[in-house]
Amino acid sequence: MANKVIYEVRNASKNYGAVVALDGASLKLHAGEVIGLVGDNGAGKSTLVKVLSGAHSPDGGELLLEGEPQVWANPKEALEAGIETLYQDSGLAQHLTVSQNVFLGREKFVPGFFGKLGFLAKKEMEAEAQAELEAVGIAFPSSNRPVSQLSGGQRQAVAIGRAVSWARKVLILDEPTNHLGARQSAEVLEVIKRAKAKGLGVIFISHTLPHVLAVTDRIVVLRLGKIVRDAPTSEYTADSLIGTITGSYSSDEA
Amino acid sequence: MSNSKQVNAEKQNFLEQVRASFSNQSTLLVVTLVVLGVVFQITSQGIFLTTGTLGTVLNDWGSYILLAVAQTFVVITGGIDLSVGATVSLSSVVAGWVLVKGLGLDSTTSGSDATPYVLLAVFVSLLVGLTVGALNAFLINVLKIVPFIATLATMGAMAGLAIIISGGMPLQGPNNWELGIPYKIFGIQLPISTTVLAVMIITVICGLILHKTKFGLHTFALGSNAFATRAAGISPARQITKVYMLSGGLAGLAGAYAYIRLGAGSPSNGTGMELYAIAAVVIGGVSLMGGVGRIVGIALGTLVLFTVQSGLLMVKVITVSPSLKQVIVALLIVAAVAVQGIQKPARK
Repeated sequence: MANKVIYEVRNASKNYGAVVALDGASLKLHAGEVIGLVGDNGAGKSTLVKVLSGAHSPDGGELLLEGEPQVWANPKEALEAGIETLYQDSGLAQHLTVSQNVFLGREKFVPGFFGKLGFLAKKEMEAEAQAELEAVGIAFPSSNRPVSQLSGGQRQAVAIGRAVSWARKVLILDEPTNHLGARQSAEVLEVIKRAKAKGLGVIFISHTLPHVLAVTDRIVVLRLGKIVRDAPTSEYTADSLIGTITGSYSSDEA
Repeated sequence: MSNSKQVNAEKQNFLEQVRASFSNQSTLLVVTLVVLGVVFQITSQGIFLTTGTLGTVLNDWGSYILLAVAQTFVVITGGIDLSVGATVSLSSVVAGWVLVKGLGLDSTTSGSDATPYVLLAVFVSLLVGLTVGALNAFLINVLKIVPFIATLATMGAMAGLAIIISGGMPLQGPNNWELGIPYKIFGIQLPISTTVLAVMIITVICGLILHKTKFGLHTFALGSNAFATRAAGISPARQITKVYMLSGGLAGLAGAYAYIRLGAGSPSNGTGMELYAIAAVVIGGVSLMGGVGRIVGIALGTLVLFTVQSGLLMVKVITVSPSLKQVIVALLIVAAVAVQGIQKPARK
C-alpha cells in the first residue's frame, strides 16, 4: 500500500478482571484504506474498538496516530484528534432532531454576546447538517425532525453521515449494517466507499461477511483476543474467512 | 433592503418558534385552565375569577415554580431531585440565621430599610442551594449513588440540619413586605408582586437556557441517550454536576421567596414541596424517562395545580384541609401520568 500509515496499534492488551479481552493485538491502518475487523462474539472486536476510539485505555501496548504516540484519556480527545467512531445501535439521541444529533458536541453559536452565553445557531446548523449529509450521499429526511420519527434505516443513515462528515483521519464503524435491509445496507457500503475516497482510514466491524468481503481492502480476524490473520481481502474466500473466524481453518494451510 | 428582509424573516421565525413552543401538552393545559376557571366560577357562585384570587394563585405558583423548573432540568436528564423541598427549608433558615443571629437583626427592621438585608438573604439562600446541589452531584458522580437515593439522603439530612440550625422555630428577621404585595398601577389592582415578577423572569430565563442554549441541548441529549452523549465528547458527569447545581440554586431561590413571603426562615418552609414539584413536572408533560419536557408546559402545569387548590378552597362544598390538599395533589399526579401513558402508547 503506497499510502502512509494513519493509525497504528501496537501490542495492545486489555483485561477485565480475570478475562483477557485483548491479548497483544497489533494493527496498521493506512489512509484511504478500509479494514474489515471480524471475529466471533467475545473475540475482542468491541474491546479493540473501544481502545481505538479512546473509550477504554489499554492495559498494555501503544497507539500511534500518524506516527505520533497517543494516550486517550477519553473519547473526546480521540474525536478532537480526528478519530470518529460509530457504535452499533447507540449513535443517536432519539429525542433530538437530525441536525442537533449531527452537531452534538460541536455546536455552532449565534454571533456576538448571546453566542458567548451559549445560544445556538439553530438555522445555520440545520442548513449545514443538510448539506453535510447530502455531501456523503445520504438520502436524508428534513433535518429539524426528531430522530425518533425516523425509520431504523434513516436513523442509521444519519448516524453514519454524521460520523463520515466529522471524521478527519479515521472512521470506525461498529456493525453499521446491523438491522438494515438490503437496499439500506448497500447505501451504507456506498458511504464507506466515499469515506475511503475522501482519504480516511476506515475500520469496518461486521458479522455480515459478504458486506466485509465486498467493501474492504484488508481483513483482520480476531479470535480470543488475538489477531489470528491479517491479509488482503483478495486472499480470503467466504469459506476460508468463516473457517478463520471459528478456528477450523488455519492460514498456514492456505 | 436585504437587512429589513432578514429582520422580517427572523420575526417570522420567532413567531413560528413561539407557536411551536406551545406543544400539544400546553394546549391541553390551557384548555384545562379555562375549563377549571369556568367550573370554579360557577360553583363558587361568581367569586372565583377575581384579581384577588389570581393574586393568591400566582403567589402560590411563585412558591413552587422554581422547584418545578429545577425538577424539569433534572428529570430531563433522566434523574430526580427529592431534596428540593428540604433545600427550601434549609436555605431560608440559613438566611434567617445569618440575619438574626449573625447580624443581630429582627423583624423591627422593615420597609425599604430591610431591602439590603432581603437581598443578602437571597444571596445566602442561593449559596446554600448551590452547595446542596454540588453535594447531590458528588453523591451521584463520585459515589455512584442513583439520583433517587442520593437526593433522598440529602433531603433527610438537609431537613434535619434546618431544624438543628433554627432550633425548630421560625427565625423572624428583617423583611420588606412590600416585595410580596401585588402592584397597584393608576388605581388598578394587578395580581403580580415584585417577588412573583422576579420568579417569572427567572422562569423565562430558564426556559431560554433549556430550549435555546448548548447547556439545555446537552441536558436533553444526556437524558435521551447517555452513551451517544458521551460518544459525542460530552462529559455526562460534568453535565450532571451543572444540572443538579442549577436545581439546588433554584431551590435556594425558592427558599428566599419563602423567607420574603413569611418574613422568617422556618424549618417547615419547604416541607413536602418536592411532592408538588414532581406533580408539576408530570402534569407539565415532562417524561420521567428523560429527554422530553418544555418550560411552557411546566409553567402551565404548576398553574393548573394551584388553580385547582385555590378553586377547591372557594367552592365551599368541601372544607379543604392541608392533608386533603396532599391527597388531591397525589391524585393529580396519578391522573397526569395516566394521561401520558394513554397519549403515547405506540412509542417504542
